[in-house]
Amino acid sequence: MKLGRRHTRERGFTLIEMVAALGIFLLVTGAAFTLLTSSQQRYRTESEVLTSFQEARLGLDQMVRDINDAGFPPPSFANIDPTKVTSAPFGWSPGYTMIPQSPCQIVTGGGGPCFTPTDFDIIIETEPNPNDPACTPNCSVQWIRYQLQGTTLMRGMVPKQASHDPAVDSSAAGVLVPFVQNVVNNSPTLQIGQFQLEAAYPAVFPGGAPVPIFQYTCDTPSTPLNPAQPCPTLGAPDNSPTNIRDVSITLIVAAPLPDATTGQPRLVQLEGRGRRINPNQ
Amino acid sequence: MKGQANGFRQIEMRLRRTTRKRRQEAGIALLIAIFILLLIGVVAIALVVSSGTESALAGNYRSSTNVYYAAVAGLEEVRARLRSNNPNSFNNTAPGFLPPPATPLGDCAPVYVINSRGGEAITPWDLGSGYPDTQFGQEHGAACGGAIAPPSSSPATSSVWNRSPLNVLPFPGPLYKWVRLNGVSEKSLNLDVDADGQADSITPLYYNSAGNSYSNDSAVGPQALELTALAVLPNGSQKLMQYLVAPISVSLPPFLAALTIGGSSANSVAFSAPTSNANYSIKGGDQDSVNGCAPGLPVHAVGVFNAADQANVTAGGNGGTGIPAADRPNYTGSSGAPDVNVIATVPASLQSPAQLEALVQSIMQSADVVLPGPNLPPSVYSPSPDPMTIVVNGDLDLTGHQTGYGLLLVRGNLNYGPDASWDGIVMVVGKGTVTGSESESGSGEFDGAFLLAKTLDGSGHTLSPNFGRATMKNMGGNGIRYSSCWTQASQPLASVKILSFHEISQ
Repeated sequence: MKLGRRHTRERGFTLIEMVAALGIFLLVTGAAFTLLTSSQQRYRTESEVLTSFQEARLGLDQMVRDINDAGFPPPSFANIDPTKVTSAPFGWSPGYTMIPQSPCQIVTGGGGPCFTPTDFDIIIETEPNPNDPACTPNCSVQWIRYQLQGTTLMRGMVPKQASHDPAVDSSAAGVLVPFVQNVVNNSPTLQIGQFQLEAAYPAVFPGGAPVPIFQYTCDTPSTPLNPAQPCPTLGAPDNSPTNIRDVSITLIVAAPLPDATTGQPRLVQLEGRGRRINPNQ
Repeated sequence: MKGQANGFRQIEMRLRRTTRKRRQEAGIALLIAIFILLLIGVVAIALVVSSGTESALAGNYRSSTNVYYAAVAGLEEVRARLRSNNPNSFNNTAPGFLPPPATPLGDCAPVYVINSRGGEAITPWDLGSGYPDTQFGQEHGAACGGAIAPPSSSPATSSVWNRSPLNVLPFPGPLYKWVRLNGVSEKSLNLDVDADGQADSITPLYYNSAGNSYSNDSAVGPQALELTALAVLPNGSQKLMQYLVAPISVSLPPFLAALTIGGSSANSVAFSAPTSNANYSIKGGDQDSVNGCAPGLPVHAVGVFNAADQANVTAGGNGGTGIPAADRPNYTGSSGAPDVNVIATVPASLQSPAQLEALVQSIMQSADVVLPGPNLPPSVYSPSPDPMTIVVNGDLDLTGHQTGYGLLLVRGNLNYGPDASWDGIVMVVGKGTVTGSESESGSGEFDGAFLLAKTLDGSGHTLSPNFGRATMKNMGGNGIRYSSCWTQASQPLASVKILSFHEISQ
């Protein structure tokens, strides 16, 4: 009996017990690591989405700020040198002239006579820092341009110059620099279809068409009974860049890499609105 | 029995072994549980952190928008309180806060509107205080002898949110802290306005609305005032915004007749006087004295711009029947009856539809109330003569037994009931049509001046270069009496125009 008992005590685990224990252990750790991997992937994707989101938010904030300030200082500030004051709150091309003005007409779809402003391009005329001691007494007005090139929203600033075209000056090498990356507002139809079907963003691109970044609302000085209305719905001369009052901004940005778990692109849509307060010129 | 005893012992031993084994493995279960909990915890924290960053980002944008509108609220409050007819105007609520009318507000002598919440002390002139005005020194230091802070202590008054009745509201007002009001000069604005190539002058700047320019000469117009607002949110985000404003008065053209009809000979007027109301008359003799104003010389009863209109008003045409021959003696004025005459010199602001529209726009900007029509609210008919500027942006039914006072501008059709009265100026400019209701007889009349012109086409565009065809048909009542005193009492008050706006980067 004594021998039997000692023998029993030293017997250890049976093979079946070992296999069962090992199996359970593998199952538990396997599940744990799967969870860990998937949450790691999710974390990576989410932080990428966040980075894009943050970049777009900052960009949007700056755009709203610039648009709010458009048209400062108004022409009444000094009547000697028209480059020290704004001629209009928003620049245009082609045919930019300071005095007298011959603005183009804003029509739908970003096309029409205006090369800028369009759905994806805007030039703001303003003096961002008039009290800067570096440019006393009269600081020069700047043309601030936002233009979507491919999937990169560019921003650039050049001083306003007499007899210059703001679109030409701001297109010079080194003026426009990347501002917001992965902006997909003007994606090709094929890619929009992919966003809509595969990535389940049916509402982001209504009708499967590109979404304008800039949508303009114009004052209607020639039809005084009407309130401000979307510029493309108005006739000449109300639909000109000199009459832009509100600019509503829609930014759709994609995370740089597709979702690591599902392999689908991730989109973020942001909206903002800038309103010019400075008086009509 | 023995075998049975053995069997029991074996079972007992197996049981003991099982118990011992379970006791040995209990630690592993605990470890696994801790491990899994740790894992879930890490995932949860990661999610919380990521969503936390997301809401913080959205929050940043929200507070930047919040603080923008808080500062604009401060600017707009002060702009509104600069108007003398605002119940909360500085003249009414804080006499002496602003210098007397002929004295400019100094570049270096700012005044403050303070919006304190929960009794916090706000002293912007004290650079050591909670919300110091450091911008004053940056902008005005050079013009004010190198001052880095505003004079201590500058005149201050409380915001409407700190005054009755708004101070007892259960919700807080806007979060701006102070609004500074001061004059500007070449030096403070860093702008050369007198074209001497230097931004050196420290005399106050005045705004010339006709030339849309500034000058050091007080004769060109009102002083340009600078409003600077600081808004600070509890989370610390802040913005400084600046307006440059000037009170712009609307100068109405002189009224050279009791009824002035703006027109072009190409589209001459359709005019039908009442046919069955012998009391109806239009009189150019100046009547009524208002607030010590004495009546002056008579004017024409009906003033028109060309001979075609003159003929149409008297004898009819273009669908109008003119004035019945028996009633013509009722149209008296500076010339013989019927006094329907061409105005010798048409005032500049009436010469074309575009010029008249420009005048209409400036009236609309300084209107006390802009209504859609077709009815005026009872509050417009004040019991005591308190002239207001009322714009009806559409058709209006002026009916009933009431009397209104002030400037009434109707953009659409004026449908007139013969018992309604108006003391002051009535302008039917836009569609340019006046119709009468079914009955011609009534006790109503217009005292002051009446202007009728068609400046807009059917879709609301300004006509050019000619006026359209104005229409006035079967307007009953007692008619129109010229009164220079009512005309004067109804001049619209100045509005405070925004000359420029910008955000000051900090």
